[in-house]
Amino acid sequence: MTRNPSILSHFSKGLIKNNPVFVQVLGMCPTLAVTTSVANGIGMGLATTFVVVMAAAVASTIDRFVPNQVRIPVYAVIIATFVTIADLYMQAYFPPLRTALGPYVPLIVVNCMIMGRIEAFATRNAFVPSLADAAGMGVGFTGALMLLGGVRELLGNGTLAGFVILGGWYRPMLIMVLPAGAFFALAILMAVFNRLQQGGELVLRRAA
Amino acid sequence: MKQMVAVLVIVTLVSGIVLATVYTSLIPKIRENQRLATERSLGALFSEERNPEFEQVTAEGTTIYRAHSGDGDLLGYAVRVVTTGYGGEIQLLVGISPDNESVLGIQVVEHIETPGLGGRITEPAFSEQFEGLDATREIEYVKNAEPDKAANEIAAISGATISSSAVVSGMNDALDGILQNLPEAGEETP
Repeated sequence: MTRNPSILSHFSKGLIKNNPVFVQVLGMCPTLAVTTSVANGIGMGLATTFVVVMAAAVASTIDRFVPNQVRIPVYAVIIATFVTIADLYMQAYFPPLRTALGPYVPLIVVNCMIMGRIEAFATRNAFVPSLADAAGMGVGFTGALMLLGGVRELLGNGTLAGFVILGGWYRPMLIMVLPAGAFFALAILMAVFNRLQQGGELVLRRAA
Repeated sequence: MKQMVAVLVIVTLVSGIVLATVYTSLIPKIRENQRLATERSLGALFSEERNPEFEQVTAEGTTIYRAHSGDGDLLGYAVRVVTTGYGGEIQLLVGISPDNESVLGIQVVEHIETPGLGGRITEPAFSEQFEGLDATREIEYVKNAEPDKAANEIAAISGATISSSAVVSGMNDALDGILQNLPEAGEETP
């Protein structure tokens, strides 16, 4: 990394190199719970992206006024506010998606990826880099959820985004849409991800 | 110390004002969606060609919709049923034939079951099984077996027995108590 990383690099590190799901392993609750289909993955990913970007924008603006002792409650209130806005907005304009995601929409509040970005980045950096960082993390999170949702929906239901891909001959592996399938899919994708990260070379990873 | 209190007060105050504004601006749309969802569910229970019109009546605290065709024929009733599933409340509308003897169908209006598992109670593959069942007898569910329609059976969704059985037991409770108390056609209800 250069001494003065560009806006683009703040954005792009969340996509692959520092992907919130596959590398940081943060925000596992929605990741595992709602990724039974591509549509659910996209919906949850976009709602989370909205929250993390807005919360990072506010946090990077007001951080110089917030005393260290109350920063967690302050940022929790800010995150909860944007989650509630996203929830109401979905109820008003995307009721079927809101129904499908059910109780996991309010639970975005406790997605540690969001608090993680605010603590680790937004409160220590200026407004624009914070926005870029949050947007990158949000897009990386959405991509990971789509990928997981895709694998689980295809294997567990024979469809992709609602379209039948594997026809009548395919007997769906029901376990893939059950909670256990979430762990299988995550483990396999994470293994593939690590392998690609290492550029095809087998390297023993050490704890950082 | 003063700054801590001041920051917390300001942040929560601003948050409250923002939420109140967003809520008041979106709530008409949300209510409208809920009303449309109920109407859509009611409409799906009765045949479209007869242009069903609905009239809300209440019997013993249960909301019942009486459906008439445009020319005044009684098409049946829709009973609102609230039952407890795996994730929480499940709200159903159960359509009953005018003679109170058979189930016309069910519609899930609201639920918070696990997406992809219990959430599949909304899918036609599950809900259409109830069409034509005998409303005067208990409905049963079977797991991993072919249901026998003559024995008033439906197949539970595999992996979602709790959600499936909640729908069945909610219907049984509702049908039990309510069928006898259905208001007669034309009867005025307060």
